[in-house]
Amino acid sequence: MEKPLLEIKHLCARVEDKEIIKDLSLTINAGEVHAIMGPNGAGKSSLSYVLSGKDGYEVTSGSVTFKGKDLLNMPAEERAREGLFLSMQLPTEIPGVVISNFLKQSLNSILKHRGKEELDTISFMKLLRLEANKLNISQEMLKRFVNVGFSGGEKKRFETLQMALLKPDFCILDEIDSGLDIDALKTVSDGVNSLRNTNNSFLVITHYQRLLDHIQPDVVHIFADGHIIKTGDKTLATQLEQNGYADFIKEE
Amino acid sequence: MVMQISLKKNKMQELPLVKDINLYLDEKPSVYALRQKARQALEKNKYPIKKIEAWKYTNIQPILSSNLKFEKEGHICTNECCHNHEKSSKIEIRFCNGKLHIEEYNLPKGLIIKSLPEVLYEGEYKQYLFNSFDIDKHPFAALNGIYLEQGICIYVEKNTKITDPIEIIYSQNKSNENQIHIHNLIILEKGASIEIYEKSSSNKVNTYLINTINEIYLKPDSCLHHYKKQNDSNNSYHIALNSIKIQSNASYKQYYLSKGAQISRQETAIDLQQSKASAEIYTAYTAQKNCLTDITTNINHLSENTYSNQYAKAILEAQSSAVFQGKIHIAPDAIKTEGHQLHKALYLNENADLNCKPELEIFADDVKCSHGASCGEIDKEQLFYLTSRGISKKDAINLLISAHLQEIISLIPNKDIQEEFSY
Ligand SMILES: Nc1ncnc2c1ncn2[C@@H]1O[C@H](COP(=O)(O)OP(=O)(O)OP(=O)(O)O)[C@@H](O)[C@H]1O
Ligand SMILES: [Mg+2]
Repeated sequence: MEKPLLEIKHLCARVEDKEIIKDLSLTINAGEVHAIMGPNGAGKSSLSYVLSGKDGYEVTSGSVTFKGKDLLNMPAEERAREGLFLSMQLPTEIPGVVISNFLKQSLNSILKHRGKEELDTISFMKLLRLEANKLNISQEMLKRFVNVGFSGGEKKRFETLQMALLKPDFCILDEIDSGLDIDALKTVSDGVNSLRNTNNSFLVITHYQRLLDHIQPDVVHIFADGHIIKTGDKTLATQLEQNGYADFIKEE
Repeated sequence: MVMQISLKKNKMQELPLVKDINLYLDEKPSVYALRQKARQALEKNKYPIKKIEAWKYTNIQPILSSNLKFEKEGHICTNECCHNHEKSSKIEIRFCNGKLHIEEYNLPKGLIIKSLPEVLYEGEYKQYLFNSFDIDKHPFAALNGIYLEQGICIYVEKNTKITDPIEIIYSQNKSNENQIHIHNLIILEKGASIEIYEKSSSNKVNTYLINTINEIYLKPDSCLHHYKKQNDSNNSYHIALNSIKIQSNASYKQYYLSKGAQISRQETAIDLQQSKASAEIYTAYTAQKNCLTDITTNINHLSENTYSNQYAKAILEAQSSAVFQGKIHIAPDAIKTEGHQLHKALYLNENADLNCKPELEIFADDVKCSHGASCGEIDKEQLFYLTSRGISKKDAINLLISAHLQEIISLIPNKDIQEEFSY
């Protein structure tokens, strides 16, 4: 029997009185990579916010279970501590907050939650430098403010760095390929692939098959108008790439 | 003798915070005269009430009705506790509960430090005392004058440059409900350059008034970096007047961090007296719950080619009050001057009260002036980003608060002090 890591059942959610997620059900087992593809405005990012607990995204019905626990009852920080990670489509700039300082607090709050020993500054910096190196992130960049003045690609690499440090069990990658040049796409995908193991899972939101060539999915879903309209294997992405969404949306 | 006679003739008025006027009758007449003049000024002008423009938004009634004592015993601090600290190369001038702690300093050449009584009795620097401002316009300075006794005089000879900051530490660790009055003179001769770092704090939640005056004289080409960290008890009152005269090509930079005290007022009055004089004031403050923080500045551009810049950032907690009044006055002769002022506030709760009053008085042509103010709340996107990385909401808010002030703190040229200012 496969072990479900995340179970979404008949989820409905809205933002500012607008229904955005409409009766969505999805089960992701440990070790699996699921891809979600869908037209602009379908609600993919909204789904990622609902799952990670952003204020303003109100669940009206349905349930989400994460590692057997009721996810929807937890505040955002607790979801992160339990092992959920969202790599954002548009990572937020935070002037005045230095990266190393932010990441140390972040990692230590997660370690503490997991009953592990927190890192002191020296061992944290050592780890940070090591992981940054793997992603071609310069030491200079680590001294900067969070996302401030980062290029599109730098922001995505920085999201990947956080993932590598925090070692989450479930990662939502919302268009992690947007803004990446060909080399960076490879670096980031390699980074993601190196984190894959039999215990963690990924939900990869993307518009392009190209990313899925690097990060091979087990399942591909087509998402339109707030829910999944078709589920298949990797070939679904190839089909989409050729013909667009029109066929699937009509089919529904 | 003469003094006592005049005293009998004039019936003394009852004034809040003025205790025991007979305290100083035994003093040297000229010192007594200074105190008497201060008392007359306070009697004449009274304490500032809301009707006075400069104090309109700052209610000082709690201070006046506090009935704080003045401790006359012991002109100097003889406390054992003060002897404990390591002898370092740093110059630390300590006021323990308002009493100067006398210590032998290894002073570098060109730096002279004297206690206020030495100044009063030897008379050498006395002409600088009560000379940089109008006592009739500063009631708390008058109160300070009535108790004139504590303070320090820092005199820097021509072309003397000292890089290590001179620390002036006010620690109020007694439970007694006292009023403390300190009057400092800082005089930089031509081409001199020093850094002063004032720290005021208490390790208790005690009630006291600390009322300081800095009279600062910057002769041509001199340079002063003035740091101040105010972290007084939340039950205390902190009133400070910085009065600064700046001559040609001299520069003054103030970095002020304020987070304590129930009522605090940092008033800075600057005269840019001669051409190319410049003044910069950078302020980072947190107005705490049920506390009032007042930042008042008055910059007079009196000559051509003078420059001033003021930038303040504020954190306003729930039920806090803040007053930011900044006046830039440009005299008719002060052509080609520049004066800027900016205030940015971060509300943690809409239930905070900010009175932001910029004032520009421009009487000259060909000047560059600007002022601006903004206020906002904690950014929801930023808060989500931080919490989505496992940081608790409380810690995330604290990070964003420090981030807001960081812009000011990062301007501090002295890295050690920058570190101390960071939360
Ligand atoms: N806070 C909000 N207020 C109002 N409308 C919102 C809000 N957030 C999302 N929406 C709307 O919900 C819909 C879904 O948006 P969402 O960002 O989830 O789409 P998406 O599938 O991620 O699109 P894309 O592929 O362009 O990233 C859009 O029409 C969007 O305008
Ligand atoms: Mg999106």
